[in-house]
Amino acid sequence: MFGFRLQAERPPEPRPVSDGVVMRLDDVYEIDPDRMQIIAQQNMPVSDTLRIVDSRWEHLAWMHDHWADHVLSGEEEEQDE
Amino acid sequence: MSVVALSDSVVDELRAILGSDYVLTNKSSLFNRARVPAPFPVHRWDEHVADIAVLPETAEQVAEVVKLANTYKIPVVPRAGGTGLSDGAVPVTGGILVDVKRMNKILDIDLDDRTVTVQPGINMLKLNEELRRYGVVYPDDPASYPCSLVGGRIGTGGWSLIGARYGHTRDLVISMQVCLPTGELIEVGDGGGRKIRKSSTGFQLKQLFMGHQGSLGITTEATLELVPRPEAEFAAFFGYPDYETAYKSTGALAKSGLASLAGVVLFDEWKVNYLRRDDEAYIPQPPELRCVVAVAAYGTLAETKPASQVIMAIGKETGGNYLGDEVSQGDWASRHDRYATPLHGRTPEGQVVPMSWHCEDAAITYSALPMVREEWHAIAKRYIDDYGVFDDWGMFAYTNGAHKPWGDYLVEIDIGIWEQRLDDAMWEAWVQCKREITEVSLKYGGSITACHGSTREGDAEFVPREMGGGFDVMKKIKRVLDPNNIMNPGKNSLDEAYED
Amino acid sequence: MTGIRESGDRTSVDDGLQTNGQGPDGLTEEFVSEWRDSAYGCFSSGHKFCREVCPVMQVTRNENHTPTAFHANIVAMEKGHLAVEDVAEDYIHCVQCGACELRCPNTLFTGDFYRHRTRTVDVVKAMRALAVDSGVEQPNWKRWVEATMEASNEPVVEGVSQERVRDWAEGLDIPTGGETILFVDCEAAFYRTSVARATAMVLRQAGVEFGLMQEQWCCGGPAAEMGYVEHARTLAEHNLADWRSVGATRVITLDPHDYISFTVDYPNYFGDQYDIEILHITELVAELVREGKLELTQSVERVATYHDACRLNKRKGIYKSPREILHAIPGLTFKDVDHVTQWSYCSGAGGGMRIERPEIADEIARRRMEKAADLEIDTLISACVWSERPLSEQGADREPSIEVRDLMELVADAAGLDYGGVQR
Repeated sequence: MFGFRLQAERPPEPRPVSDGVVMRLDDVYEIDPDRMQIIAQQNMPVSDTLRIVDSRWEHLAWMHDHWADHVLSGEEEEQDE
Repeated sequence: MSVVALSDSVVDELRAILGSDYVLTNKSSLFNRARVPAPFPVHRWDEHVADIAVLPETAEQVAEVVKLANTYKIPVVPRAGGTGLSDGAVPVTGGILVDVKRMNKILDIDLDDRTVTVQPGINMLKLNEELRRYGVVYPDDPASYPCSLVGGRIGTGGWSLIGARYGHTRDLVISMQVCLPTGELIEVGDGGGRKIRKSSTGFQLKQLFMGHQGSLGITTEATLELVPRPEAEFAAFFGYPDYETAYKSTGALAKSGLASLAGVVLFDEWKVNYLRRDDEAYIPQPPELRCVVAVAAYGTLAETKPASQVIMAIGKETGGNYLGDEVSQGDWASRHDRYATPLHGRTPEGQVVPMSWHCEDAAITYSALPMVREEWHAIAKRYIDDYGVFDDWGMFAYTNGAHKPWGDYLVEIDIGIWEQRLDDAMWEAWVQCKREITEVSLKYGGSITACHGSTREGDAEFVPREMGGGFDVMKKIKRVLDPNNIMNPGKNSLDEAYED
Repeated sequence: MTGIRESGDRTSVDDGLQTNGQGPDGLTEEFVSEWRDSAYGCFSSGHKFCREVCPVMQVTRNENHTPTAFHANIVAMEKGHLAVEDVAEDYIHCVQCGACELRCPNTLFTGDFYRHRTRTVDVVKAMRALAVDSGVEQPNWKRWVEATMEASNEPVVEGVSQERVRDWAEGLDIPTGGETILFVDCEAAFYRTSVARATAMVLRQAGVEFGLMQEQWCCGGPAAEMGYVEHARTLAEHNLADWRSVGATRVITLDPHDYISFTVDYPNYFGDQYDIEILHITELVAELVREGKLELTQSVERVATYHDACRLNKRKGIYKSPREILHAIPGLTFKDVDHVTQWSYCSGAGGGMRIERPEIADEIARRRMEKAADLEIDTLISACVWSERPLSEQGADREPSIEVRDLMELVADAAGLDYGGVQR
């Protein structure tokens, strides 16, 4: 699914997942909007949220690679990457 | 609009040295070279603005500017990245702000003798991007790695997250060229050889010019270590049900004797609670998890793979619950980014407000860590309750000694400050809070700052007490090297050197 | 949800928020009120992770040009230390690439959690608009925008006019109107027409039906970037009306600058009524190749690297589709540089930089080309026609020279299409 449709950019309503934390998009945690009364939340389209999440993972991978060729695992019975 | 308080002839002389384009007199140039990331008295911004900013390109230009400053007795404030945490680069008495960012060249890469020579305005991440093709790295890795500059690392006596393995800035700088407060350019190193790491010739001058916060001169060139690019990186995060267990585990890991160990970091309960505010980046952990210890190792595969297994064994044997590869690797790679988020600020009612981050740092022995933690949090709580604009973001304890993880710890308490609400009364309260925190460090035989520096109000007044007889030596040196007190005056209580 | 104000998401000062005869002071007050949350979000942090990824900062090394300063100035204006006249010139020094606001930990690590991110591009646009509204104008931007309004298209070459906006399509018999419109950026329509022709022929080859606008005007993006909000809006309103008048529901963009205009600026202008679907060419073509509707059979014997267009990679997170296409081109030796490293790359062509500070834009382009040359390539491929002019100039200057080609030109080559047009 690609392309831009304004209607699809409106984020779904939040559902609570824990104290002070909600979720609108799958696996994307957000603060409960009730906690942002002094500083307002922004109008953030769905594609923007997804871009930030993807960019974060990509940045983390980049930071590992910047420092070393292999990242070793601490989990048992796993070979290093 | 110009706010130059300097005479026109001084400005003309500066233009002759640097070229008009690089002599800045307008307000936005000066107001944007005032603060550093440490909490800033926004309500008194205009008191921390230089009279003029200059952007040199060469060491010779720096020297000419400093000579001119001596002639006219004008203060000089050196500024590299302006990312320090102790106001070293913040003007307090106006003057000429020397901004070295244009001096960001790599001058020489020597793969045989393993050195790289750079100008002070270069950033370590950008330097390492260039060095990668040669299979080497300059492993000075602070939280500000993506933005701090080599000159500032030297000026502040920087600390590296992987210092237990590779050393800190002062261990990684082999030699440098310094512009003295009277304008001479000299070379300092271990002895006189540019690329010599250990010498017994003369006095050990290089360390004198580390961490002086710009009060003894300006670094104009530095020759740095080139280390083989690590084959492997290992990071493990362990969770603990209580502080005591985490504390003992920290000690065991730090004393493991592993050569590739790069650092051990203890997150106390307050820090874990702070990080929980952002569940999304920190995969939700059960409430039984109160403290965390992070361990990192770097080196060849031959060393680091077995070391990783030892680390896992020690962590588990000492009560740690491994949080998994995703958390460990993700959080380690986030080490520069996650710990100073303005929107993690909370009012006592739990509302989000953007807070500035104050990181109060000290060097504390292992045995004193538990008491310092209790006393610091108690101090913070009083100020939070009384003023409503502060927030306790928890404490870290990091292995501190270069190549010596078994020794002392860089201990930090992170306090959020709602800067928009600052006024004189709250600023004074804030400084008083810092003083109380500092007293605790001294009480337990520690140092009031492991790495940020002692230049700020709240720290500077304690420098004579911590240094004892050494403070007299400091004053003598300062007086001799900087007879006109032009080099970053008003820092570290060193104005006292001129009181007759 | 209670108490949600939507702050900082406007790129225009309009809809009744205008002067009311209050003069600059009133305008500044409104501006500061709208942007103070954004300003403090940055100012409270002070961490400057933006600085080294900024293409302008890499060249000028002047703190005045940092995103940090762009935000701090607003706090200083609130405190009465600075006025828009004091800072307007500083804000010229931004290509609006979006690297800073993405790299900022307040976006990258917590922007999604708090639904509050760093928005340097919007801040720069808004400050430029405040400057224009306060009577502080940059001479070359003013001329450029006036010429654009005069000709309805950007003065990318001598003699740009509305009458000639479809000349690039000569001989292609592209209809006017229809459900799907191909929007052909001014630089492609008038300057590097090979890109326009290659794109049109590729779409046709893959069986995509599309038409052109009745009267294609400039998307309005440059005017918006330079602070001429009213003009940007005028252009936008015309374009939307044109699309609607031919029954278009979908617009394909071939340049990232237009994709930004249509997916960021236009929703701000038109709100919920904005029901046009916008597709960017790289995403569409990647799908066509994937689905076998476009076959790339002709070998393209080049050693190439790819320049991530800022407005695709940094601002929109579109970096996979161009690479997918490149990997599908036979015969191509593709030496990639990852898209995160390219957060700090730029051609210098955006944000009006080439128009008001060409020497800085040229140096940004020179450095980009130098990085490409380090890889020992003969071709630099871009997916942004605006980047191609400055990069071509730099590539031609080198010994040996490096050719700059548009991704769609290479796709057309690989599809065996003879597109013609002017390539430069």
